[in-house]
Amino acid sequence: MKKLVSLLLALTIIVSCGAALAAEDGKITIWTWDPNFNIAAMKVAKEMYNAEHPDVEIVIEEVLSEDIETRVITAASAGDISNLPDIMLIQDNSAQKFVLSYPEVYADITGKYDFDGFAAGKLAYSIVDGKNYGVPFDAGTVVGTYRTDYLAEAGYTIEDLTDIDWDRFIEIGKDVKAKTGRPMLSGQAGAIDTVLIMMQSCGASMFNEDGSVNFANNDIIKSVLEYYKTMVQEGIFIEVNTWDEYCGTLSNASVVGTVNGCWILGTIMGVPDQAGKWALTNMPKMPGIESATNYSNNGGSSWVFTNGTDIDLALDFMQLYRNVDFYNAILPTTSAIGTWAGAKDGSNYAAGNEFYNGDAIFAKIVEYTAHVPANTTGAFYYDAREALGTALTNYINGGDLQSELVNAEDTVNFAMGF
Amino acid sequence: MTNATPAPKKKHRFWTMERKQSAAGWAFLTPATLMIFVFSFYPMVQAFLTSLKRGLPTALTYSDPLWRNYQRMLKDTVFTQSVANTMTYLIIQVPIMLVLAVIFATLLNNKDLKFRGLFRTCIFLPCATGLVAYSMIFRTLFTYDGMVNALLMNIGILSEPINWLNDPFYAKVVIIVGLVWRWTGYNMIFYLSGMQSIDYSIYEAARIDGANQFRQLVNITIPLLKPIILVTAIMSTNGTLQLFDESVNLTRGGPANMTITMSHYIYNTMFTKNPNFGYAAAMSFVILIMVAVLSAIQTKVGDKR
Amino acid sequence: MREGAFSKKASRFCMYAFLIFASFISVFPLYWAFISACNNTQQILGGRMIPSTHLIENLTNLFAQQDVWRAMKNSFATTLLQVVLSLAVSSIAGYGFEIYHDKYKDRVMSILMLAMMVPFVAVLVPLFQMFSKVGLLNTWVGFFLPSLSTPFLIMYFRNSARTFPKDTIEAARIDGLNEFQIFIKMFIPMMKPTYASAATITFMNAWNSYLWPKVIMQTPDATTMPMLVSNLMSGYVIDYGVVMAGVTLCSLPTVIIFFILQKSFTNGVAGAVK
Repeated sequence: MKKLVSLLLALTIIVSCGAALAAEDGKITIWTWDPNFNIAAMKVAKEMYNAEHPDVEIVIEEVLSEDIETRVITAASAGDISNLPDIMLIQDNSAQKFVLSYPEVYADITGKYDFDGFAAGKLAYSIVDGKNYGVPFDAGTVVGTYRTDYLAEAGYTIEDLTDIDWDRFIEIGKDVKAKTGRPMLSGQAGAIDTVLIMMQSCGASMFNEDGSVNFANNDIIKSVLEYYKTMVQEGIFIEVNTWDEYCGTLSNASVVGTVNGCWILGTIMGVPDQAGKWALTNMPKMPGIESATNYSNNGGSSWVFTNGTDIDLALDFMQLYRNVDFYNAILPTTSAIGTWAGAKDGSNYAAGNEFYNGDAIFAKIVEYTAHVPANTTGAFYYDAREALGTALTNYINGGDLQSELVNAEDTVNFAMGF
Repeated sequence: MTNATPAPKKKHRFWTMERKQSAAGWAFLTPATLMIFVFSFYPMVQAFLTSLKRGLPTALTYSDPLWRNYQRMLKDTVFTQSVANTMTYLIIQVPIMLVLAVIFATLLNNKDLKFRGLFRTCIFLPCATGLVAYSMIFRTLFTYDGMVNALLMNIGILSEPINWLNDPFYAKVVIIVGLVWRWTGYNMIFYLSGMQSIDYSIYEAARIDGANQFRQLVNITIPLLKPIILVTAIMSTNGTLQLFDESVNLTRGGPANMTITMSHYIYNTMFTKNPNFGYAAAMSFVILIMVAVLSAIQTKVGDKR
Repeated sequence: MREGAFSKKASRFCMYAFLIFASFISVFPLYWAFISACNNTQQILGGRMIPSTHLIENLTNLFAQQDVWRAMKNSFATTLLQVVLSLAVSSIAGYGFEIYHDKYKDRVMSILMLAMMVPFVAVLVPLFQMFSKVGLLNTWVGFFLPSLSTPFLIMYFRNSARTFPKDTIEAARIDGLNEFQIFIKMFIPMMKPTYASAATITFMNAWNSYLWPKVIMQTPDATTMPMLVSNLMSGYVIDYGVVMAGVTLCSLPTVIIFFILQKSFTNGVAGAVK
C-alpha cells in the first residue's frame, strides 16, 4: 500500500507540470503577524469595510514575518504562487530585496492608489525602479524617550535632551552616569540598529544611489561608528546580548532611556507602575554633518499585493489606510501609528497620553515622521547590515576602523558578485 | 545462511529457500527505500543541479564555469570561518557527550538504584524542553552579571566576570555546553535500550572474576553496545555538522561570525540575505561530502561484522 | 571487608550526588519555563526565579489569543500517526537489511545513509515544488510523507536487529512461520525496548517539527503547537509570561510520553520470547 502511494506520487510528479496563479475569487485573504498590532489593526479595517461592503469576505490569517518570507521564497521558486494571499505585510527593510528577487510575485500598484500624504522616507522602502509596490503601514519613526526621575536626579529635564546633538548627549550622559550610576542607553551587541538610526538621521545609507555598497569612503559611517564606540567606552551605552535583555533593561529601568523606533513605546507602556515617569522627545543629531537631522526611522512595515489576484478589490479595501477614522480607531488599542499624515487630525492623536503625563506623544510622532530623511535599502540590505555589524564588533574590540570597513565592503561586494 | 532444512518443494528450482528469503528481504526494505529515493534523493539531485547555477532564485541559469559556486567558497572568509567553527564543535562536543551518555546509561541501568525512572526522565528532559525556554535561560545564565559568573566567582575559579556571549572563545564554550546539555539524555536512551539485550549473567561472571565497575564498562558494556554507539556517533556527527539552533538562538553567530555554523550560514544565504540559491546549494553539498567521509571513517572503524 | 563496605557506601553517595546534580541542571530550564509561566513579563526579564500569581492570567491570555485546543489536536494527530507509520515502515526495512543482508542490500543501505546528510534547507525548495505539483499542499499526507522513512531509524533498527538471535528465526521457520510472520510475531515483541526508544525519539522529532509543516500547510487550521509558540513571539511587544505558558504546554506531552515509554526500554524484556 505504502509502496503504491510512493510509486503513484513519483509518477504524478513526472507527469504533471505547469505553474498556477493565485485566484480571483471576490474574497480578500491577508497574511500578517502580531495579534496585538497588525492583526488587531486589520480586524478594525475589516469591520469598517464590511460595514459598507457586507458581501466581501475578508480572511485575516496569522503568519509570522519570517514564515511569510519562507513561503514566498518556496512558492515563487516552485513556480506556483496560487496559495499566496491577496495582501501580505512585509518588513520595510525586506521589501526591496523581495520585489527584486521575486518580481513575478508582487503586483505593481503605481497609479492605482493615491500615495499623497504618505511620508516620502517611508514610501521609498517599497518603491523599486520608480514603481510603487506597497501601501505603507506603521511608522518606525525614531523617538528618544527617557525616565524623567533619573534625569531630575542629575539635574536635567527632557528639554535638555530635545534638539541636541550627540556631543551634548555624551556630555549629559557622563554627568548622569556619574550622578545616578545608570547608563543612558542600551542595545544589542552586533545588531547595529542604533548605528543605522544615526546614519539615516543624516540621510546616509549603506549604499550609493546606483546600489553599490558604500562603506570604505563613507565619512558619515565613520563618524557614526566613532560616536557609537565612544558611548560604549564611556559606559553611556551598554551593549547586551539579546533582544529580551534589551527589553529587560527598559522594563527594569536599569537604563535612563532609549532611542528607537516608536513601536518600542509598547514595551515601555507595558510596565504600568512606571506610568508618569517617562517623557518623549526627538533624537540627538550627528555633529559636524550638514545633512544631519533629529529624525530617523527604524523598523515598520508595508502591505504588498500578490500578482494575479483581484488587485482592484484589494486596493479598494486598502483605501482605509488613508482614512483618518481608521487610524483614530486603531490607536488606543494597538498604539500603531500610521505614516499617513492625515492621521494626526484624529481626536485620539491630539489627546494627551496618561502614561506620558498627558503629553500628546502620538501627534508628536506623526510630526517627526514628516521630517525623516529617506535612505536606500536595496536588495543587499541584510548582507550589508551583517557585514557592518561584524566591522563594528571588531572595531569596538580594538580593530582599525578603516581596514574593518574595507573588509566589510569586500564582504558585501563578494555577495553581490553572485 | 540457510542449510538447516532442505525445502520440501524441490520442484520450483528458481525459488530456492535462499532466493525466497532474499526476496522477502527486498520486499521488506522496498517501501522505505523508495520513499527515501523519492523524498530525499530526487530533491538532492535537483539541489545539486541548482548548485551549478547562479542568478535570481526564479531565473537561475548554469554558471560559467559550472563549478563557479564551489570556487567561490574558497574565497569566502565567512564560509571558512563557519567550517572551522563547526569542526571545533564536532571535535570537542561529540566525544564528551557520548562518554557522558554511556556513563549515565550505565548508572541508570543499575537495578538497585532508587528513583531510576525519575532520574532518567530528568536527564532526558533537556531535549524535550522548548527551544525558546532553553535559549532564553542559557542566555540569561551566561550574561555578564548572570548566575554562571556569580557562581564561578564565589567558588573562586574566576577573579573577574567573563563576557561569555560576546567573546569569540567563551561563546563557543557556551554553545558546546548547551549542546552537551541538550543531547546527552537523548543519546542515553539508545544505550539504555541497547543494554537490555545484554545478559545480566555476563556481569555476574565478571564480578566473580574480580572486574570492577570500570572494567565491566570497558570490557563488556561498550563492546556489546558497539552497533548502537556507532549509530549515535554517526548521528551526532551528522547533527553537529548540520548544527543550526544553537548558533541562531544562543549567539546569533556572533560576535563577528566567530560562532556561526555552516547550516546557519546556508540558511542566511537563502532566507535572510539576498537569496543566492546556487551558492547555498553548493555549500550544502560540501557539508554532505564532509559528513559522508566522516561517517565512512566511523563505519570502517566501528562496523566489523 | 569493612573497608570495602565503606568505599561502597562512599561510591553510592557519590553516584547519587552526581545524579541529583545532573538532574537538577537538566530540569532547570523547564522548571524555569514553568515558574515564568506564573510570572509577568517584567518579573521574567528581571530574572525572578520563584513563581508569582500570574499563571491564570497568562493562560487566559494564551487561550484568548490562540486556538490552543486546535493546535494540541493537530499536533497529537499528526505526531501519533507519524510515529506509528514511521516505525512500521522503517523497522521492517531495518529488519530486511540486516536479517537478509547480502552485499547488494548492504550497498543500498550505505546509499540510503547519504540521505541523512543533506541539510534540510537544501532540499526544501525542490521538495515543495514536487508536492505542489501533485497537489499535496495543505494536506496531511503532504505534511508527514517526507519524514516517514528516515535513514536514521532504518539504521537504528538494522543495528538493533544484530542482537536478534539467528536460531530464533530458524526455529520459527521450522514451526512453519513465513518471513513476515517471523517479523511480526518474533521480532517485534522481542525488540520492544528498541521500538519504545525509537517511538520516543520519533515522537519528539515529529512533535517539534517546524520548518516543513510551516511551508506545506499554509492554512491556520493546521497550526501545531510549535507554530503556536512561535506566533507568540512575533510582535513588537512580547508577553513573556504568555510565551512561557505556551512553552510549558508544548513541552509537557514529550515529557509525559517519555515517562510512559521509558519503562519499556529499561525494564528488560528477556523472557518475552520463549
